[in-house]
Amino acid sequence: MPPILEVRGVVKRFGGVAAVNGVSLGLEPGRIYGLIGPNGSGKTTLFNCITGVDQCDEGEIWFKGRRVERLKPHQIFHLGLGRTFQVIRVFPELTALENLLVVTTTDYAAAGRRAQELLALVKLERLAGEFAGNLSYGQQKLVEFIRVLMTDPEMILLDEPAAGVNRTLLNELLDAVRGLRDRGKTVLLVEHDMKVVMGLCETVFVLDHGEKLAEGAPGVIQADERVIEAYFGR
Amino acid sequence: MKRAFLLGLAAVLVALALYPMQATGYGVRTMLQLFMWIALAQSWNLISGLTGYVSFGHVAFFGMGAYSAGILIGKLGWAWPAACLAGGVMAMVLALVIGWPCLRLKGPYFAIAMLGLNEVLRVIVSYYEGLTGGGNGLSLPTLHASVPIYYAMGLVAIAVTALTYLVITSRFGLRLMTIREDEVAAEAMGIDTFRHKLYAFLLSAVGPGIVGGLAARDQGYIEPLSVFPLITTITMIVMALFGGKGTIWGPVLGAVVLFTFQELVWARFIYLHQLLFGAIIVAVVLMMPRGILGVLQQKYNLPRTI
Amino acid sequence: MVGQVVISGLLAGSLYAMVALGLGLIFGVMRVLNVAHGPMLMLGAYTTFWLFHWLGLSPYLSLLVSMPVLFVVGAVLQRLLVRRVVDAPELSSLLLTFGVSIAIVNLAQLMFTSDLRSVEYLTGSFILGPFAFSKSRVIACVFAILITAGAFWFLQKTRLGKALRAVSQSREVAQVCGIDVQRIHMLAFGVASALAAAGGSLVAVMVAIQPEMGQVYTFKSFLVIVLGGAGNYPGALLGGLLLGLVEQLSSLFLTTQVNEAVAYLLLVLVLLVRPTGLLKGRSS
Repeated sequence: MPPILEVRGVVKRFGGVAAVNGVSLGLEPGRIYGLIGPNGSGKTTLFNCITGVDQCDEGEIWFKGRRVERLKPHQIFHLGLGRTFQVIRVFPELTALENLLVVTTTDYAAAGRRAQELLALVKLERLAGEFAGNLSYGQQKLVEFIRVLMTDPEMILLDEPAAGVNRTLLNELLDAVRGLRDRGKTVLLVEHDMKVVMGLCETVFVLDHGEKLAEGAPGVIQADERVIEAYFGR
Repeated sequence: MKRAFLLGLAAVLVALALYPMQATGYGVRTMLQLFMWIALAQSWNLISGLTGYVSFGHVAFFGMGAYSAGILIGKLGWAWPAACLAGGVMAMVLALVIGWPCLRLKGPYFAIAMLGLNEVLRVIVSYYEGLTGGGNGLSLPTLHASVPIYYAMGLVAIAVTALTYLVITSRFGLRLMTIREDEVAAEAMGIDTFRHKLYAFLLSAVGPGIVGGLAARDQGYIEPLSVFPLITTITMIVMALFGGKGTIWGPVLGAVVLFTFQELVWARFIYLHQLLFGAIIVAVVLMMPRGILGVLQQKYNLPRTI
Repeated sequence: MVGQVVISGLLAGSLYAMVALGLGLIFGVMRVLNVAHGPMLMLGAYTTFWLFHWLGLSPYLSLLVSMPVLFVVGAVLQRLLVRRVVDAPELSSLLLTFGVSIAIVNLAQLMFTSDLRSVEYLTGSFILGPFAFSKSRVIACVFAILITAGAFWFLQKTRLGKALRAVSQSREVAQVCGIDVQRIHMLAFGVASALAAAGGSLVAVMVAIQPEMGQVYTFKSFLVIVLGGAGNYPGALLGGLLLGLVEQLSSLFLTTQVNEAVAYLLLVLVLLVRPTGLLKGRSS
């Protein structure tokens, strides 16, 4: 099967430092991938390059057979690639419902129904009219998560979905992610919580100092000496 | 509650419509100015209040409308209603020309660009002296009828407020607000922020354009210093801020309150008056950045249609 | 002819650079666009005027008064007002300094009236071969260079200066290193206002002094910061010189009126092509 996302030799520099230094990845549709690495290894920068928030300096990014590295974020979104952020970015002065509605351009009624569906999925229906800025951290996290699902994207990038989230909520999120995979979606998540990564991902990429260090099934990665060294120091 | 409000509003509109019948010429001209300020403050609100992109050069559209209408009336003999509408169109064109490059910039850089705009326009007006009368200004054939202008201004004020209502209650308006809340996230969520900012900018230029034409028609004379002054921008901004930017009735409230004070107290002392406006801006930003209506909205959890 | 213009450009540019450095400091350290920067320059000019008028003090000596006085004014402004909006959305600090600038300008109108003032001090030109340069411009340039050099010495060599640069790079890290960020903010605002005041004192002998004189300098300082890159202090120098050059060169081809628009067009051009500035700066 042709890969849904291909990253070829992407380089992104800030000042003199290469945050991402020649990374290449290939992702097949319908699987859950993980992206791990010590702090500062370039994970979020890579996400930003893929989603168009940052422009990479070198390399190519292909999504569903199209080159996307020069596209603007909103164009990439409409091609079917959505993302969440490491630091929650809901729109605080919009209600939870409005946060969802604002994403779609389709028929208002249909959008409304889908929004209600998604809110019900994460059990937040009664908070639909609440300003997003007033919600708790966990609730905002869920809103951001379902917001990216509003247009039913084929691929979703999750930036640290487990950060600051309690166990119960986390399990709900993970179930939702598995549900997405079962429906044929592709998920790539950046995560620090190893248990989450090991339990959820089918393939894991490891970044260190902006370069891909290793790639493989979770069990293999865990045992890889280079990975251990990267995390725990040389 | 809502019905009471609508009835009250209707009563006010009827009263305003009947006002010219038993008011003095001075009274009519004063009210006409109030309508003008409502239209201006409300228009500024459309771009700056909703998207958070502060337009420091909005008076440019007022001046553009004034000159366009003035030239059409004075040199080409157009009737004033058509000329003023044309002024609005020209203002939109100017907004397109300026907005196309400048709205691609991030917020603060956009503000810088708009700051310099006034100067440039004043220079351009002086340059094309043949057309605009340069520094000497442009005179229009006199018209001794402020009453039609009164109604025209009133209509524009109502139209712009209605437009604001339509925008704020639509998904388009929500998207504009996301730009204000978090532009990066908005882009990532599929919102073409540039296009949205541009549309808002265009919409925000029409009001000032038409109103500029009407004001020129009423004064009978246009002069660069009188149509591009910083005080117009300052006043627009302070009215919208004071009343509540990002709300529907905020700019109206701000315009009514500050215009009343201005007429009663300060107009005679221009520098004192501007100084106080500056101080009010500082006070509002520090103490109630969302303006009076914004504060009330938050405190009593009022709907966004305030 | 071209040589004359180029050197004139550099003379003017050195002043722009010094004043813009001030604006750049505030923006670099606090991410605040100080619209009230121009009015600081204006106050410096008036200080020089009144000292000259009442005491016959040489404008160049008045630098010793205008700079410290405006330093204090700037620091106080920061402490009382600007500090409260440093963490608010950028819109707030922009509107705040806008309000402050209106207040200061109109206060000046009320106190000093809008009558044009001037300081008749140094007239005539230095003749150097085929070139003639107005004495006041040359001396202003010399002082601007000295003061700017002083500012850079402060930034590079003193502990406070380094702390200031640290805060420009990363507030969080600076805090963790024990730097009192609030004091640095006040310091930056004070230094910036002093630089603007120096600009005002120096131009007091060259241009008409009136309350609105600062406006154009605010805008040009913004332009220089954009040219040189936000947060890039040496960049501000190059940006200033570049602006001076462009202005003088364009005066060869364009009428004086259109000349004023040149700065603006330059700004829009640069912002479109390289939003982070011509040199490496940090995007805001």
